[in-house]
Amino acid sequence: MIETWQQQIKEAAARGGKLTPRGGGTKAFLAPSHAGDAASHVGDMLDTRSHAGIVEYDPKELVIVVKCGTRVADVEKTMVDAGQMLAFEPPHFGEAATIGGLVATGNSGPRRAYAGSVRDFILGAKVIDGKGDHLAFGGKVMKNVAGFDVSRLLTGSFGTFGVITEVAFKCLPLPKAQATRVFEMESANAIEAMNRWYSEADPITATTFVDGKLYVRFAGAEPAVKTAVAKRGGTVLPNDVEWWRDWREQRHSFFATNAEIHRVSCKSTAAALDDAETAIEWGGALRWVHANADNAAKVRYWANRAGGHASIWRGSTSVHANAAQALSESLKQVQTKIKTSFDPYNVFPNLSPVPSGEAAK
Amino acid sequence: MLTFEKPTDQTIDAAVVALRKDFGDRAVTSHAVREHHSHGEGMQDSALPDVVVFPETNEEVASIVKLCNQARIPVIAFGTGTSLEGHLKALYGGVCIDLSRMNKILQVNAEDLDCRVQAGVTREQLNVEIRATGLFFPIDPGANASIGGMSATRASGTNAVRYGTMKENILGLTVITPDGRIIKTGTRARKSSAGYDLTRLYIGSEGTLGIITEIQLKLYGVPERISAAVCQFDELPHAVNVVITAMQLGIPMARIELLDEVQMDACIKYSKLEGLQAKPTLFMEFHGTDAYVAEQIEQMKSITVDFGASDYRFADKPEDRTKLWKARHDAYWAGMSYSPGKQAFATDSCVPISRLADCIAAAKAEVDKSGLVCMIVGHVGDGNFHVQITFDPNDAEERARADNVAAKIARIAIEMGGTCTGEHGIGIHKLDALKVEHGEAVDVMRTIKKALDPNNIMNPGKTIPMN
Repeated sequence: MIETWQQQIKEAAARGGKLTPRGGGTKAFLAPSHAGDAASHVGDMLDTRSHAGIVEYDPKELVIVVKCGTRVADVEKTMVDAGQMLAFEPPHFGEAATIGGLVATGNSGPRRAYAGSVRDFILGAKVIDGKGDHLAFGGKVMKNVAGFDVSRLLTGSFGTFGVITEVAFKCLPLPKAQATRVFEMESANAIEAMNRWYSEADPITATTFVDGKLYVRFAGAEPAVKTAVAKRGGTVLPNDVEWWRDWREQRHSFFATNAEIHRVSCKSTAAALDDAETAIEWGGALRWVHANADNAAKVRYWANRAGGHASIWRGSTSVHANAAQALSESLKQVQTKIKTSFDPYNVFPNLSPVPSGEAAK
Repeated sequence: MLTFEKPTDQTIDAAVVALRKDFGDRAVTSHAVREHHSHGEGMQDSALPDVVVFPETNEEVASIVKLCNQARIPVIAFGTGTSLEGHLKALYGGVCIDLSRMNKILQVNAEDLDCRVQAGVTREQLNVEIRATGLFFPIDPGANASIGGMSATRASGTNAVRYGTMKENILGLTVITPDGRIIKTGTRARKSSAGYDLTRLYIGSEGTLGIITEIQLKLYGVPERISAAVCQFDELPHAVNVVITAMQLGIPMARIELLDEVQMDACIKYSKLEGLQAKPTLFMEFHGTDAYVAEQIEQMKSITVDFGASDYRFADKPEDRTKLWKARHDAYWAGMSYSPGKQAFATDSCVPISRLADCIAAAKAEVDKSGLVCMIVGHVGDGNFHVQITFDPNDAEERARADNVAAKIARIAIEMGGTCTGEHGIGIHKLDALKVEHGEAVDVMRTIKKALDPNNIMNPGKTIPMN
């Protein structure tokens, strides 16, 4: 498979053709320049699903090496059976979600604020670049400072550097105990509680505030969870595993809306935006906001004031086109130079429009 | 093939005149100051920069870099001079930018658990200045390094098992690019996805892509309880297997450090540790609530007893803990004083945790064969360990033997699916090992280097082999 792709890429490079790597297509709505149109892609599609399977997994190693086309669900099933997990709790957004797509889109779930993000768990990766070379970056060890940290640069690169063919992830053991408690409160109190409880070293692994309720998941060693739950009170959330899965997959009713949904990264203590329907997670550092033509500009202004930025998650324009617009000219130039280093013939998609002439250099 | 054409004397003289005009007595050409900036720690191979400049602002750094870029003069950033792989050696002379005057903590956002500092702030200074907030910054390489230097080398330390390394703890950077522009990467927010993750690219680039001048760092609440413990073993493999088991069970230790019997002997003598023997030893630390720490200690005890460990000695009082960890951080100096008149350097292998016992055993076998005095110390919870190899600097044969052992140990680690460097970096000493480890991928790294620094002025000759 690898050789076929290498050939395909070389041919595309030679004739000025375009290729878009694609897995299950579950996150196509996030893809650069093709927001909202799950079927579209640039040039020919390079379907990664045929390159599937776990290359290496011995739970004792605390490392799993997986081919790009492997379904995330299959990987997680294998790991759970061995008492382990991908600790960044990736959202799938559909059964077809693949490991390659997970890394290329760089999304993490509820545990992200407490355990780390996708890139923090990537130990190494292989990629076929725009010249058709199959390259290995990083490896299988917890710490590696040999050369530039390219394997983490691939996270969130949206296939613009090439085809991610294989990824090695750090695995963590599943927590021994878990409990979720629900607290009815105002958003301001919820933001305060999320931040304070975490800084007081409660074993928190997820927080969400939605519909006037704060959901806090405690997980870890049994005595630690028991102590924390006793200290904080709240009401028990039955079936909490399902609740968090639904929240992660955006199957909660908050996401069932026709409104555009903006995703706002901000400082975790930022006050909530009062006059827009909002859900808060990651200890306050991530906000989901229902936006429309009237308040979109305000959401952006507020996000900037809160020390972060807003991007359109579901709606009319590409999240990354938007994000790229917010970059300074100097940053854009650096980004373009890196893209060109991987993909000198511009075979793969771009995160943002490439200034004319740059890509051909 | 030379990677850089040394600038002519006229070019350097003109640059020095220009820098003197802008920086006055903050542009220094005295031999003593240049010598101080010509090397890090570790191997004493040095080469002097032509001038050392002490800027105080981002704009000043940018102006120096711009001048150097126009004149094609090398630029080397300097923090506290504690790097280990020759990162600071001015192979082609040039301008050394000493960031020690950029030592301000710009913001502490206690509630958001982060802060923004200038590159010259040292890790100890940061922890002293934020003490009143109840927060701390956990990354602790042995030296009291600058945050800028730690970022540029992707440093880690004894706390990495629990808190990660620099790469997990940096939220954003201000970087001066080789053409003298000031860019900000990341945002204040903990999660950002505006384009590529440039922050990750600059962290660990060893001054070859730009100069890091400001760093946004994550901070952590000081745990309710901190408990340090020491236990000793009759045999090294037993100690290593304890670590492997603990990691596989996911016991969230803050620190777990291994010292072999030679290193322990050196540390007992150097740091005057009482009640400990020259035996393979684990230094451990547990962080959390009272209940959580007690649980972790019980779990650890149940593992160590299976491997014939001695009783635990606890250090719960801050001053006792400080003494213990100071002894660990002084391991290198303890090793140096163990063999007076000798020099030493340290290997930096990191392997998958399950291969750690095999790798340490193989390294130890190489050490025994060499007949050199070597000691092993390691952040074994990450699979990372150092063999400190001592040799007589005046004995070429002994030096060659030392290099040979180091190369063999690096190769063993790479063959076991590991790396030649877990935390010290490539610098000038591991360029060949990088090629062995990464193969063709080095080409892309080189292309990135050429794209971002087309004149190759940023710390030339380091990190990425250019031929």
